[in-house]
Amino acid sequence: MNREALLDVAGVSKSFRGLSAVADASLHVAQGEIVALIGPNGAGKTTLFNLIAGALAPDCGSIRFDGRDIAGMRADQVCSTGIGRTFQLVKPFADMSVLDNVMVGGFRGNASPTVARERARRALAALHIDELRGQPASSLTLPDRKKLEVARALATQPRLLLLDEVMAGLRPTETDVMVQTFTRLNREQSVTILLIEHVMRAVMALAQRVYVLHHGEIIAQGTPAEVTRDPRVLESYLGADAL
Amino acid sequence: MSELRALFSQASARTRNALLLLLALLLLAPLLLDRYLLSLMILVLYFAFVGQAWNIMMGLCGQLSLGHALYVGLGAYTAAALYQHFGLTPWLGMLAAVLVCVAMASVIGWLAFRFGIAGTYFALLTIAFAEFTRIGFDHFDWVGASGGFFLKVVQQGTTDWLNLRGHPRMFYFLALALAVGAFVLTAWLMRSRAGYYFRAIRDNEEAARAAGVNTFRYKMIAIQISAALTALAGVFFAFYYNNLFPEQIFNMGRSIEIILAPIIGGVGTLFGPVIGAALLTLLSEGLTELLQILGIQAPGLKQILYGVALALSIMFMPHGVWPGIARRLGLGRDAKEPQE
Repeated sequence: MNREALLDVAGVSKSFRGLSAVADASLHVAQGEIVALIGPNGAGKTTLFNLIAGALAPDCGSIRFDGRDIAGMRADQVCSTGIGRTFQLVKPFADMSVLDNVMVGGFRGNASPTVARERARRALAALHIDELRGQPASSLTLPDRKKLEVARALATQPRLLLLDEVMAGLRPTETDVMVQTFTRLNREQSVTILLIEHVMRAVMALAQRVYVLHHGEIIAQGTPAEVTRDPRVLESYLGADAL
Repeated sequence: MSELRALFSQASARTRNALLLLLALLLLAPLLLDRYLLSLMILVLYFAFVGQAWNIMMGLCGQLSLGHALYVGLGAYTAAALYQHFGLTPWLGMLAAVLVCVAMASVIGWLAFRFGIAGTYFALLTIAFAEFTRIGFDHFDWVGASGGFFLKVVQQGTTDWLNLRGHPRMFYFLALALAVGAFVLTAWLMRSRAGYYFRAIRDNEEAARAAGVNTFRYKMIAIQISAALTALAGVFFAFYYNNLFPEQIFNMGRSIEIILAPIIGGVGTLFGPVIGAALLTLLSEGLTELLQILGIQAPGLKQILYGVALALSIMFMPHGVWPGIARRLGLGRDAKEPQE
């Protein structure tokens, strides 16, 4: 439907034992865009991410990235097409140092430790956690672990970054720093970003467009301002009675 | 070669000097030690070697094998049978042993990793393969079945490097070469992409996949390297001891013996298997000596001692003795991490 879309998700569904988690969801992200995916808890946002990133295979529908069909590919294959993702529930390599964690991502597509270390250092610097590089990942605070997730994904040199609630638990000032980081990545390295986020402060500042997911379906899309005025969106968050 | 040199130059001067000194001492050891002490050193080096082989799979990649005796046995029987029946030199026998063990490991790995058998279930699978191979060899007449398989023994005065027949000194140098080789290989692996991928898989498989790691492929590589090295240990075992019994060599106790040194020394560390092997051999021989002096007959006490050592180590030093020693020597983490 959209010729210049970098990511094109069309009619994707996934159910678990008859329970529908994502139903006929379609979205697209153009090259260079920052797009947010919002919705109440349990709406299926993370499931949709897992489908795109290859952690799960969709029941039906197509997922195209840069013109290639990636639906049903393994997660590592999706990664090597140029999609980096973070996990909402952070998954650091606990017994490895921060630098080593990020270097794992840096080895994507090359076997040289020097290159991997170079990429890792750049990713750590971008997230402002370079000074933590010698520490074991298990010693980090939650906000730092979130940054580590992003750095590891970034070190894979992605063209599209999938961010799953990386601002949750950050203080407003930290959120602003993170927003600046993503804006800079987007502008200077033309990294396209699709993010799941509850922190509306970040969504408003970052996203050019927003999709709203509710009960596995996309119920609204538009600019942040449009979406937050949409009665269906308010209803999904607050319940019909509140209106 | 350049990568090996880089490996060496990355270690701190202190580590480098300590390692060179140790290597020099080990090379001179046969001149200084009597036969008994030499045989002890051979044991230490043997367990350091197999421990390192097992450590690559468990310590680095997080795949627990409790059936490594399988590869010792298969490697031993392969090279011994080729030598005894066809007169093939054990050096070529090693190649055959490695091929057989890598094939076996690939079957086990494929079954486990393809169908998501992990953790304890994977460990049980490795035990099962070792056990049914043992039973198979009990009925394998070509290699003596349960009656045992014996290699021709020659005068120990001569040294025949081609056929690995002769004086224990030769076996000492062979064991030393194997242990040093496995040490260097592990050190190199830890700094390579494979080493990073192994540890990523160990710590979190899903995150590893998301970071671009083909987890199936790298788990296969880990089990294959580990099996290949353990096959060499088997060949060494066969030509050093000259007799093979399925009941002994495939025994589960043997598998446990292999993993004791790295666990007590420190799983996932480079020096752990070496330190662990030295400690355990000293402990067990010291106890044997002590019992002899006291005139106590207590078969099986060695196993009990191993059990106690393992329990104490897991309770009080879950990371093994090496991390503590490293800190005290001021080596820090540089055994695990490259210097900048």
